[in-house]
Amino acid sequence: MAAIDTKLSHYPVSPRASRRGLKAGQSRIGLLMLLPAAIAFAAIILYPFLQALGLSLYQYTVEMMSPQWTGLSNFGRLLGDRAVWGSFATTAIYVTLTTLGTLVLGLGWALLMNQPFRGRGVLRSLSLLPWVLPSTVSAFIWGWIFNSRYGVLNALLLQMGLIEYPQAWLSTPQGAMLAVVMTKIWLSIPLFMAFFLAGLQNLDREQIDAARVDGAGNWAILRDHILPHLRPVLIIVVVLGVIGNLQQFDTIYALTGGGPVRATAVLSVEVYRRAFEQWDIGIASAIGVLWVATLLPPAFLYLRMLIKGNN
Amino acid sequence: MRLLSRIMSTVAIVGVMGLGTAQAQDLSFMSFTYAEEANTATVQALLDGFNEAESLSVEPLGFAWGDMQRNIFLRARSNTLPDVAQLSERWLPTFANLDSLVDLNTVYGQETLEATFAPDALAMGNIDGRQLALPLISGSIGLVANKAVLEEAGVEAPTTLAEFKEALIAVRDAVPNSVPYSMATKNNGSILIDFMIWNWVHGGSIIDAEGNAVVDSAESRAALQFMVDLMNERLAAPEIDRPDSRRLLAQGASAFYFDAPQTRTFLRDFSGQGEAFDVNVLPLRTPVLNEGDASTSVQWGHLLVQFAPGGTASAEDPADKFLSYLTSDAVQTDFPLKMSALPVTNSARAAVADDAYLTAWAEATGASRTNEVGIWSNAADMTTIIGEEVQGALLGQKSVDDAIAAMQARLTESMANATPAG
Repeated sequence: MAAIDTKLSHYPVSPRASRRGLKAGQSRIGLLMLLPAAIAFAAIILYPFLQALGLSLYQYTVEMMSPQWTGLSNFGRLLGDRAVWGSFATTAIYVTLTTLGTLVLGLGWALLMNQPFRGRGVLRSLSLLPWVLPSTVSAFIWGWIFNSRYGVLNALLLQMGLIEYPQAWLSTPQGAMLAVVMTKIWLSIPLFMAFFLAGLQNLDREQIDAARVDGAGNWAILRDHILPHLRPVLIIVVVLGVIGNLQQFDTIYALTGGGPVRATAVLSVEVYRRAFEQWDIGIASAIGVLWVATLLPPAFLYLRMLIKGNN
Repeated sequence: MRLLSRIMSTVAIVGVMGLGTAQAQDLSFMSFTYAEEANTATVQALLDGFNEAESLSVEPLGFAWGDMQRNIFLRARSNTLPDVAQLSERWLPTFANLDSLVDLNTVYGQETLEATFAPDALAMGNIDGRQLALPLISGSIGLVANKAVLEEAGVEAPTTLAEFKEALIAVRDAVPNSVPYSMATKNNGSILIDFMIWNWVHGGSIIDAEGNAVVDSAESRAALQFMVDLMNERLAAPEIDRPDSRRLLAQGASAFYFDAPQTRTFLRDFSGQGEAFDVNVLPLRTPVLNEGDASTSVQWGHLLVQFAPGGTASAEDPADKFLSYLTSDAVQTDFPLKMSALPVTNSARAAVADDAYLTAWAEATGASRTNEVGIWSNAADMTTIIGEEVQGALLGQKSVDDAIAAMQARLTESMANATPAG
């Protein structure tokens, strides 16, 4: 029996073969498939962002036909602008309350939807309704609930005898903030619930049953078994929630317009007000740049987790 | 190959059709009245009339009143301005520096315009001697009452502030769940008008002729305190903007609010009663502080501006023919009446002098004053400042003294960076 020749150099090699071979071809196809998304990203996100970044270094108001270079003076002006710092504080309050609220209620609802009961499928489907509705429609629904004259909330409280006169919920800073936070939580619960539900599907039931046999109560099971199991999902959900809430504009603008006075003027609303109510594009761009800067840490964290997960 | 040729043919046909559509209109007209459901048919009739008269077609671009400034601003940046646009009189200074805005004195001649238009109407479109706009309809912002509500509360039309407050209390007590005076408390632009009028009534002023902020005065504090008291005594309510006021008055849930004469058209629509509601629309003199004081109201109107490359145009251009048509007697003796407003030309005003509603409105509001904020190029910024500070006081977030002091400081800073309109 003849021995098999294992030396590669003894085999004929095509003159067209490149050193990178099959892997290079795969990379090229990968890049090609990435191209449409990359072009779309460059056209509708990167280009406007770079333009805004550029405009933040110019003075550009409605009275000027062309922008004038002022360097970092817009950022200098923002340092002394109490309204902008107020917007940072308002944004922090809004993001914290919405993220925490959605986290707790989304997890609670997911735990409920994970229990076996009749009609669970229908209820799970119905739970997605707020997510399906356009956000501005949801904002108007909540606007009507809180409306001082025709609102359901006032009608209910008046009927129960809990208030003597209709209350203007959206006219107090606390009431307006509560309204925009509740609206966003209501909108976000389905997404959070879906994440948690997916995580709960992988939970080992036998582990829970064993814990119950050992005498563990509901709280102990949640604390010692469910939450540790959901930890990766929790981190992803919190990071995505923070990013989404930092970007929020439409529901807030539709519900309160950033008011009363400036009570719900988060950074997104502040950018809009400066650009399209006070017609100061330079300052609006500078606030926009700072706003993007607040988005970078959670976005970096998310990408890091994503890449780590893939590896 | 056959597939390729089919695709190319389809593309060619679509291209030709698109080109045909793009070239079908002779000029574009951006209008907020066109976007108002109650008035779309009236404006469309104007465009059809122009088409019939001049064989020129107009592409209407309807945008809500609140979106107009933003749209013009963005279109100016992207060189996609319409040929003609409708503006509120207070917006003109904001756009006065656009180099595509046509000085209509160069098109029609200053003498011709002065001979044609009523001086008060023409003045609304004039900035530093340049006629940057022609008036379309005019009037003033004054006090309107619902006669039926006043009768229900058993009160007469008030003439002084004291009587006004008594009337409001009577309405509050006689009409359950009503907002006796639908004062603007939500939108900065509307809040500005209400504050400006009450400030004038109390003898105050916001900006003087030299551009100095002068709102930190005893008169202005008294005016704001008066407004805050109305809120505290449930004679006015939060979350009210002009459209809310119109609906409340039309539904008999409010007795008074400030608006332009055009209010009658809105009230007909919102009441669901049409012209039958006219008997309830009562224009009133703004109550005065002391018996014998002159009543006050704010000058109001809709303007027409023309945009053209380099700001140059001639009377033979389609856009200028359109402007001529809109200010002709045929239109001016009809359109303003449908809008419940005064015509702007001398001849049309003479022709409609016997219109009972407009006569009553003119008598009630008397000589109106120019919007003292709207004449400055930083009007948008000042509107935000005044709106925020007044709203802060009305909602109890700050004291009257703090609000006025903050308003003075912020207005002073804003005026320091401002340039006079034009």
